[in-house]
Amino acid sequence: MSATPFPARPVSRRSVLRGGLGALAASAVAGPLLTACGGDDPGGDGKDLTFWNFYGPADDANPQSKWFVDLTTKWNANNDVKVNLRYIVGKEYLSGTVLQTAFQSGEGPDIFLISPGDFLRYYNGGVLQDLSPQLTAESKADYLPGLLEARSVDGKVYGLPMEIEPLAMYYSEPAFEKAGLSEADLPKTWDQTLAVAEKLTGKDRYGVMFETLPGYYQNFTWYPFLWQGDGAPIKDGKVAFDSPAAVQALKFWQDTIQNKVAPRKALGDGGGDVVSNLGSGAAAMQQSGIWAVSDMRTKAKNFKYGIIPHPTPDGGKPATDLGGWAFVANAKGKNPEAAAKFITWALGSTDAEGIERQRQWNTVVKTNVPPRKSVQQAADAKGAFGEGVLKKFVSEIAPTGRPEPRFPPEVYQPVADAIQACQLNAADPGKAAADAAQRIDTFLQTYQGASIS
Amino acid sequence: MKTRGNSTPARPPRSYFPILAHVLALLAVAPLLWVLVSVLKPAEDVFSFSWPSTWTLDNLQYVLLKIPLPRFLLNSALVAVVVTVVALFFHSMAAYALARLRFPGRGIIFSGIMSTLLVSLPVILVPLFLVAKQLGLLDSYAGLIVPSIFHAFGIFLLRQYYLNIPRELEEAADLDGCGYWRRYWSVILPLSRPVLASLSVLFFLANWNAFLWPLTITRNPDLRVIQLGIAGMQGQYASAWNLILAAAVIAAIPTVVVFVAGQKRLVDAMKTTGLK
Amino acid sequence: MVATTAPPSKPPVVARASRQKTPMTRKRREALAAYAFLAPDVIGLLVFVALPMVLAFGVAFFKVDGFGNYQYIGLDNYKLMASDDQLWSSLRITGLYVVTFVPLAFVVSFALAMLVRNHFRGIGWVRSAFFLPHVVSLVVVGLIWQFLLVDKRGAISKLLAPLGLGDVSFLGTPSLALGTYVVISVWFVMGYQMLVFLAGLKDVPKELEDAAQIDGASASQRFRFVIWPLLRPTSFFVVVNSTIGAVTGLQAFDLVYVLTRGGPARSTSTVVLYIYEQAFTFNNMGYAAALTTVVVGLLILCTGLMFAFTRGGRFDED
Repeated sequence: MSATPFPARPVSRRSVLRGGLGALAASAVAGPLLTACGGDDPGGDGKDLTFWNFYGPADDANPQSKWFVDLTTKWNANNDVKVNLRYIVGKEYLSGTVLQTAFQSGEGPDIFLISPGDFLRYYNGGVLQDLSPQLTAESKADYLPGLLEARSVDGKVYGLPMEIEPLAMYYSEPAFEKAGLSEADLPKTWDQTLAVAEKLTGKDRYGVMFETLPGYYQNFTWYPFLWQGDGAPIKDGKVAFDSPAAVQALKFWQDTIQNKVAPRKALGDGGGDVVSNLGSGAAAMQQSGIWAVSDMRTKAKNFKYGIIPHPTPDGGKPATDLGGWAFVANAKGKNPEAAAKFITWALGSTDAEGIERQRQWNTVVKTNVPPRKSVQQAADAKGAFGEGVLKKFVSEIAPTGRPEPRFPPEVYQPVADAIQACQLNAADPGKAAADAAQRIDTFLQTYQGASIS
Repeated sequence: MKTRGNSTPARPPRSYFPILAHVLALLAVAPLLWVLVSVLKPAEDVFSFSWPSTWTLDNLQYVLLKIPLPRFLLNSALVAVVVTVVALFFHSMAAYALARLRFPGRGIIFSGIMSTLLVSLPVILVPLFLVAKQLGLLDSYAGLIVPSIFHAFGIFLLRQYYLNIPRELEEAADLDGCGYWRRYWSVILPLSRPVLASLSVLFFLANWNAFLWPLTITRNPDLRVIQLGIAGMQGQYASAWNLILAAAVIAAIPTVVVFVAGQKRLVDAMKTTGLK
Repeated sequence: MVATTAPPSKPPVVARASRQKTPMTRKRREALAAYAFLAPDVIGLLVFVALPMVLAFGVAFFKVDGFGNYQYIGLDNYKLMASDDQLWSSLRITGLYVVTFVPLAFVVSFALAMLVRNHFRGIGWVRSAFFLPHVVSLVVVGLIWQFLLVDKRGAISKLLAPLGLGDVSFLGTPSLALGTYVVISVWFVMGYQMLVFLAGLKDVPKELEDAAQIDGASASQRFRFVIWPLLRPTSFFVVVNSTIGAVTGLQAFDLVYVLTRGGPARSTSTVVLYIYEQAFTFNNMGYAAALTTVVVGLLILCTGLMFAFTRGGRFDED
């Protein structure tokens, strides 16, 4: 179907009725037809597996792309079952239609990447392969606590994380200097943040920046502020969103906008794009993740910046969110066992080669915190986290972090609506939290699937 | 109805009309000019508001040489041209039949065809993908081309055009003993040149900018069309906007050329579709 | 209208060898030729448009989990709609969008057409300039406006700073975002509608306008009594086209997604965006299909009403 050259055409009433009735009549037959062409038979012993990802092989053969290509080349040289990469552009992979269309028509990939927010959807749909049989005990113990649990159900591991991406506040040294501020002025509490941001806000710059675009990412960046007050959307399977912690966190973000110290719209890719915002002077402080270190290195290497942990409310405790993608295998794919074997080899190998491979990913081609202790040691030996911003990430920030929650869309949406309403529409945080809690509660009552938190 | 040349003014325009027109045109195009200027700036300056400190062709060079942009352009050109040619051929045949021939079921068929216009691609994306998969069109040029051919709009416009062609020409052919095919091929088709020219501009534009269907049906990176190529430069967290703009500028050039060449025809031909 | 050609006269008893045709055979030949001409397009449309359409609508009676599992639930999807607040909200937003966009685009493109209908130097480039926004990729359109409208630093903010409106965020403020989106849509679409009007204006016979002028009619009288009435079919076409595009076209989804993703605080969440969300974020393909049937149904109703109200624009052939 071509894109319409002219949007559409008017039709006479009669012609439409005739056409419409025909369609309606035929749709009665549609149902059985659909069930018939559901999907391919899961073979079980296919020899060619597909690995869909958003890193490579990319057109510009950047280091991250190269890592993926080298990975599969190595595997293919030593194994009968071959793994073939398919590169899907980041935005389309994350929020587009490609994966869904493929799975819906039984054409899903054999190996792919998921974020914590996707986990339950895939698990409850029965497409995640249990990796436990191929995962050695040694490998399992090597992972930092909590990481595998976030991707497990009833003790069975379904995904292996490739990285940990903590969030922090980035600040611009030039901006601070220009406002006559120094390191002593770096905010530690929410109130300090608002005060300092005011001094930093000027004709062409905002003092602080948080994500304002609705989406999984915005939720991801907001949760730390909820956790700092010891709040959570769900506790022990019951909704707990209607709490003082949630209300104050919503209010904090609201205040940054109301006090005009934060922008309503970010440049470039949004609130997480440090290069386009902090780097271009649009914001003096910006919340983003450890990935930005590598981005700044490649796209704005002369820009001077630092990081600080998230500021906390009075009486709150430090917290950050740990994002990170995981490799998973399609249980309905062509050869789930081989796929599982590939994943545990690629990410979980405890031999020197495996550790080096992980070290490369976490500290050389990309900057993030390694999910495994042995890799962390290897990285430390090379001084990767020896100084500067990365040192701070590993020593101060990551330890306060919690893994990104694996909420299904029906929990994500009410929280997102609450954040949006308070941040951008001056809604009353108390009411917004209560509304969201009610919607989550309604959903939980009919939810049947793996535990959410 | 004969086409009227558009160079004969009904009366001279009021004196301020042309000036106003030029000013408004500049305003309309100004946002796009920003793109052009930004492309020629060094990468770090994409979002700065200043005039470029240095002019550079780096961005354009990068997208033309370092990434397979020429390949994407080629793919898009191939798909757009083939779809346009085949679609116009099929549509003019169908339009001729609907406008000039009598046969049972004409009304129903026409209505059915028109009713397909109310549905847009996102709605039928998944079932269409299923159908294409069953037909073996997955990941191929055929998959890019074939489903894009069938769209009722062209049929409608051509039919309107044919309804207005004088019957005498056809009847002359009939007397000469021409069969229907000869009539179509030797009489009707040559007469449709103006409207075909304009429709080809529109079809080309629409297919050149296609994104969702190519994204869904192709997996092989060598099959990517230009819009996919541009989207491919958007990163997970931070895109190289300077490169995206550069690629978009290059991608826009053929469409601009095609449009400018065809805009004269476009206006002339549209008026003969009997929109009275 | 279609004039009927006289049927060939019955052959006299003395046979005319070469031209003997009975009406029956001729009709059949005509019909067969017609079917042959229609075949490629009709088959293509059936396979690639009608069939998926039917399948898509059929899915509305199922609960679909996104992994190939279908579960028949009859009309449950439709029943869900009644209590779906988000749906009504998005319908309201789409409605608002349509009633502001369609008239605004109409007036702007009409005015532009009147401006460029008569030849002057540089008319080619001017017309192209108006059409150019429509030609560029949407990714770029989104970026352009994001950049121009960004808080404080954007070109628009700088322009408005002297008026004290320097830190108004057009795309970031719920009360302003929809209006901004309307304006950007008009910018995007105006050149194309202008072309349609230009074509329609060419059909206004010069003689009538000249005659009116000679009779002493002023410019506005000429407009009201000569130009406007003759342009009615064109205007009708533009309005219907514009409406359908505003509800389900490129601007209803792609443009808004790239500009705001439906935010801020859902103030630009059109119904098509909502359907997309249901299908691809929530994986409720069944519900999304049911929503689509409702939207298409509403469109049919709308179009039908417009036809009835204006007594049609002579687009059907019987």
